[in-house]
Amino acid sequence: MIHFNKVTKVFKTDIFTPPFCALDGVDFTVPEGSMVGFLGANGAGKTTSLKIIMDFIRPSSGNVIFDKSLGSSKLEIFKNIGFLPERPYFYPNLTGEEFIHFMGKLSEVPSSQIKHEISVWAPKFKIDYALKRELKTYSKGMLQRVGFLATILHHPKLVILDEPISGLDPIGRKELKDVIVEIQREGKTIFFSSHIVPDVEEICDRVIFLKEGKLIYDGPVNTLLSTNIGQDFLFVLGDTELKDFSTPFKQKVKLPDNFSKYVVAAQDKDKFLNEAIQKNANIISIDSVRPSLEEIFYHTQVSK
Amino acid sequence: MNTNKSLVVALYTFKEILKSKILLNVFFVGLGLMIVTYVATEFTYGVPERVAVDFGLGMLSLSSIAISLFLGVGLLSKEIESRTVYMIISRPIHRYSFIIGKILGLMGIQLVNLVVLSGMILSASYLLGGEVNSLLIWTVGFIFLESLLLLLVVSFVSLLANNVLTVLFSLVILLLGHSIKETQNSLFVQKNPLLNGLLEIYHFVLPAFYKLNLKDFVIYEKSLPLSYLGNSLIYGVVYSTALLFLIIAVFNRKNLD
Repeated sequence: MIHFNKVTKVFKTDIFTPPFCALDGVDFTVPEGSMVGFLGANGAGKTTSLKIIMDFIRPSSGNVIFDKSLGSSKLEIFKNIGFLPERPYFYPNLTGEEFIHFMGKLSEVPSSQIKHEISVWAPKFKIDYALKRELKTYSKGMLQRVGFLATILHHPKLVILDEPISGLDPIGRKELKDVIVEIQREGKTIFFSSHIVPDVEEICDRVIFLKEGKLIYDGPVNTLLSTNIGQDFLFVLGDTELKDFSTPFKQKVKLPDNFSKYVVAAQDKDKFLNEAIQKNANIISIDSVRPSLEEIFYHTQVSK
Repeated sequence: MNTNKSLVVALYTFKEILKSKILLNVFFVGLGLMIVTYVATEFTYGVPERVAVDFGLGMLSLSSIAISLFLGVGLLSKEIESRTVYMIISRPIHRYSFIIGKILGLMGIQLVNLVVLSGMILSASYLLGGEVNSLLIWTVGFIFLESLLLLLVVSFVSLLANNVLTVLFSLVILLLGHSIKETQNSLFVQKNPLLNGLLEIYHFVLPAFYKLNLKDFVIYEKSLPLSYLGNSLIYGVVYSTALLFLIIAVFNRKNLD
């Protein structure tokens, strides 16, 4: 759907400051129908990338190639895109309803359909009660919901969201994630940046990692997780209070109710299992140690 | 279709500004205008209607300038700073349609201000025994044109400088634009060819606001030659159009970060 083609962006502030390279030959694709998470620490270049995709700023080199299914001209393409910026600040004196109508009309949605979309989506976003109020009276979460509604109002094929769930409370995050999953199931392509890695892991099938303006990873979440599976195994055993294991293990953690967790190296796995069986240990579970996306993200960001 | 988009942007810009209590401002200016006119006519012998028109047009001009200057300064820059512009230009709309819509929306507010205040001026003049001649209508029209030109100057400068500098630069351009002819006619400038040449260049490049100021004539004249009015009108319209194209060209190339 989008090919971000070897994009470099260098910012030149003034003649006294050296140029700053925000993106360095970044190249990734967002496949049609996928849910892609865009990860990176602050200043990694996520928002700059999204601004280049939306033509708010121009790249120093490289370009953005949109799928032909989105259209051939810029206006056609943008008719099929829904974009929600980070921390949106809307016109404070307009009501929520006026703002949604404004956005709908710009996207060439007839007034009757805008009303219909509001009646469908406003209850889902739990914002219907406030639509007659001026936006200056809205909380941050409410503004995010109205912005989200305005973003998907015209049924775009591609939805691009910049930090859509940051700053929301857990309930708000859950509700917004549910809507994101719902619209993706309708066949839309979702591309969103986020700092909240577990949320990306939960709902995305692909992930793109940026670090200091460079691409670190572009691919399926599962591939990233499986390639980072450690060589250790995790045994959870019950009633192990009096059992001493002669097989070496790396770590033992006592859990409540007389359960214990053992981390065992791969080469000792079978020996440890045999010993546990011989000692009539209550084996609850055996699993490979699987790092979360957040752990991988953290290690990627801190490693040089 | 993009004309419609400009009108959509204009409509909601108008609504947004209208709801920001700007009409209350117009109301207070109108009230002040009535009080000042009443007081001034009480101290005048013989020509109270002329005093009413003089004060009225002065206040109308000032309020139009204030709207162009203080609302115009944030018209584009605030949109960029607060990222509201991202929500709009990520829709199927050309950047020039957005600019034209914003300008039209604010000029709609100017029109409301003009209609309300000029209605008061004409009523006061009429009640005091004056007559509503064509020059008065031309003057009001030219105040509108002046406010448009100033708004375009402010919008252009705001794309290049911060808000404080924009107000300062625009104010200087407005004052110089009103006084350039008087300055050029002064003996000091006449005797200094270099200075005169510089002012001639300035006169050619920057807006000559004095051409749109008919307030000095309206008190003592009932009409002006149509050629003078026509030339001034053409000057105002052509300069405004050129400036609008320049704003669009700059905004089209501007990185919105």
